[in-house]
Amino acid sequence: MDFIPTTDADKQEMLHQIGVKSVDELIQTLKPYLQNKLDLSRPLSELGLVNQLTILSQKNKVLKYFIGAGSYNHYIPAAVAHLILRGEFLTGYTPYQPEMSQGTLQTMYEFQSFICILTGMDVSNGSLYDGSSALAEAALLSSSYKDRKSLFVSKGLNPEYFKVLKTYSEGAGLTISNELNEDTACVIVQNPDFYGNIENLQYLSEQAHNVGALFVVCVIEPTSLAILEPPGNYGADIVVGEGQSFGLPMNFGGPYLGFIAVKNFLLKKIPGRISGMTTDSNGNRGFVLTFQAREQHIRREKAGSNITTNEALMAVASTIYLSLMGKTGLLNVAESSYARAHFLRDKLVSIGLTSLNKNPFYNEFIMQAPFGTSKRILSNLFGNGILGGYDLGDDKILICCTELNRIKDISSFVTIAKETIN
Amino acid sequence: MKLIFEYNESNSIHISTIRDLDDDATNGYEQLEKYTPIGLPDELLRKELSLPNVSEPTVVRHYTNISQLNYGIDIGFYPLGSCTMKYNPRVNEDIARLDGFQNLHPLSDEECCQGSLKLMWELEQKLKAITGMDAFSLQPAAGAQAELLGVMMTKAYFRQISQTQRTKIIIPDSAHGTNPATASMCRFGTITVPSDSRGNLDIDRFRQTLQNDVALVMLTNPNTLGLFEENISEISDLAHKNGTLMYCDGANMNAMLGIAKPADQGFDLVHLNLHKTFSTPHGGGGPGAGTLGVRAFLADYLPLPRVTKNDDRYVFDYAQRKSIGSVRFCYGNFGTLVRAYSYIKSLGNNIGNVSKNAILNANYLLTLLKDDFEVPFDRSCAHEFVLSSERYGDKSALYISKRLMDYGFHPPTIYFPLTVREALMIEPTETEAKETMVRFASALKDIAQELKEKPDFVKGSPHTRHIGRLDEVAAARKPNLRWTPPIHSD
Repeated sequence: MDFIPTTDADKQEMLHQIGVKSVDELIQTLKPYLQNKLDLSRPLSELGLVNQLTILSQKNKVLKYFIGAGSYNHYIPAAVAHLILRGEFLTGYTPYQPEMSQGTLQTMYEFQSFICILTGMDVSNGSLYDGSSALAEAALLSSSYKDRKSLFVSKGLNPEYFKVLKTYSEGAGLTISNELNEDTACVIVQNPDFYGNIENLQYLSEQAHNVGALFVVCVIEPTSLAILEPPGNYGADIVVGEGQSFGLPMNFGGPYLGFIAVKNFLLKKIPGRISGMTTDSNGNRGFVLTFQAREQHIRREKAGSNITTNEALMAVASTIYLSLMGKTGLLNVAESSYARAHFLRDKLVSIGLTSLNKNPFYNEFIMQAPFGTSKRILSNLFGNGILGGYDLGDDKILICCTELNRIKDISSFVTIAKETIN
Repeated sequence: MKLIFEYNESNSIHISTIRDLDDDATNGYEQLEKYTPIGLPDELLRKELSLPNVSEPTVVRHYTNISQLNYGIDIGFYPLGSCTMKYNPRVNEDIARLDGFQNLHPLSDEECCQGSLKLMWELEQKLKAITGMDAFSLQPAAGAQAELLGVMMTKAYFRQISQTQRTKIIIPDSAHGTNPATASMCRFGTITVPSDSRGNLDIDRFRQTLQNDVALVMLTNPNTLGLFEENISEISDLAHKNGTLMYCDGANMNAMLGIAKPADQGFDLVHLNLHKTFSTPHGGGGPGAGTLGVRAFLADYLPLPRVTKNDDRYVFDYAQRKSIGSVRFCYGNFGTLVRAYSYIKSLGNNIGNVSKNAILNANYLLTLLKDDFEVPFDRSCAHEFVLSSERYGDKSALYISKRLMDYGFHPPTIYFPLTVREALMIEPTETEAKETMVRFASALKDIAQELKEKPDFVKGSPHTRHIGRLDEVAAARKPNLRWTPPIHSD
């Protein structure tokens, strides 16, 4: 199956008008030219394709997830997929021509507004690739703004995020240090942290500012923001994070939705696209990409970031998700996730596991299983169709609940763990 | 159009409280009720959440209405040069949403993700066959991120072989802005080399700049003028003799599918934009996917994990080697990979027809227009071409673009590449019919005529969109970048 409408007769006419006998004549400057056809596979019809890919998808096993660690299994209202499949959202590109892309630009403005409200910040961009690369961009931004080369990373950052931060830092000549001093560009902290702990970060924020560093808060499970104090209120200069929880499927890791929001003084340093409200010649409200002079297509080697294509459609999905959920719905998600996680934690404590969270937690928590039992617990759960958590080693398991974990499955989890320990 | 924040309605409940899934629980949900975050310390709790409550009918109507203010490939011709705005097959959307693909947690056991791993492994084999490269990373989320990965790997490679004096990257003056921006992110200096009179890289100037401090040459082939680099093999040979690596910005791979391989042209690294060449939807600016292919000597530097095949089983390979790390969470924009894989499977061995028809369409459209606009380089073009509207005056490319909207077309890329004045960069792609190109050419000719006869009318366009020309200066001078909740006095 191909998607080429040109008939043989059209082709002959076109070649004639161009003044050549064949397409080959047009590509004489293409060297070296392949003599043989590529051996990829037999072309497929749509039905053939659907058949093969359906079979392939069924080789995957979707389980009952009690795991988060950077990717969260939340319910997505049906209207989200219906709306983002509209060709007008799906098949346009970067809104460089505002008169033809008000839909994308207004949605981007609404997305920026949602992110600012949730994080307590002044300015958000239209999206970055994912939470981990957004964090790396925040580090580069801090280094460039402060003209300092050291990053202080608080314990409890998601290890995948740490890896990405380290990779970008090495490329840019920055160092990750556990010293807070005059060369510290920023202090980075995840909240709730990788182990689920919610911290009062006021003190750390003050310490960062005392050495003249920026304070960067990373939020990877953003439904927590429905109930938690927004980072802007405890001193964050930059808030970055992952928007997957807001209406995006887990999708084996992507496409996800990085976000970055800053306080006003960093407006001209923020990477990526920003939509701004303005008016047309008749005074009608409209939206344009603004402050483009920050970006690579204008500033080239002087740009702070090379980002161009972002996760626009994912931002549209999240905006629609947040609109559908509203204040009531988002609170329900947070409260339901919180309740299920705490319920499971208490049940596991009652059968002999130890809770390791010293701080309050939201929907992820660590349990210490009796010596030598965690692997067996996880494997017995697996045998019953449950992915029971993220194995931290040393019999520690990082467990997560959302509104999608049924009480029935929580009970099975506890029963299986209990039988394993006994 | 109202903002979503300007509604105040009764919310439709998509998720209620704790009972949604638990009516069959014999006990438990009553116990859930005692767990409420209200018990958290006060200083950790949010005091106010100013989100709107809007009913579902209103939300659906709101986003349907504002979507209609957009233009997309589904509506009409979108010849945005360098972006490959081809048709996005709908079946691929359905396939990407199959339960086994869409609802799989990325930290699943290998046993649970054999389908996804097989897809990733096979996609890598197909991309290897298409480009001639030896190994691919599917991790980068977009072309620019693949460039970043490629440049980081280049840096690591030269550190490994103790050639840290290589601190510069050669980039042609016609290159995408991402190339120099990427170089800077990795603290490389850039050397800009101009084009010659045929639109190729000026090889004499290239030779002069190619010193032992040059790590990498970043070229787009065909270049952003829509022309194949005629001296590509010579350029690669010179670079390699100098110990310099060759990077191919594969944004224009739609001109070479099945008819030429970047590896045969001497490239050591190439990135592919799956949302361009392999038809995954552009989504109003993303998501994309920017896979990076490299020759064998660089494979050890790729991000981990790699996916490998042992007999009939697919496994994650985390062996460290010299990996530079990761540029993002997990394995990449998997959902985008599914669509690109499906596209390649549909076309199979006939994939060469894509590029041949893209080249045919571009040359046909160029032929229709070449008497009415300057053609900076008198050559056959690849899958796109650049015209100059200089003869119609200052800012004419902008005016023409805005007026094209009234004719129902999306404008081409304008004022890029920077080396051509009043540039119109036009890429029709293979999925457009002859008749569409005839209509587009005729619209451009009409507008050119209008510019002579009633220039003020053209300068005031578009006249038929729902909104006129927007004040970009005011947008930057008085930034309004978000809705702000009203302050309550209670």
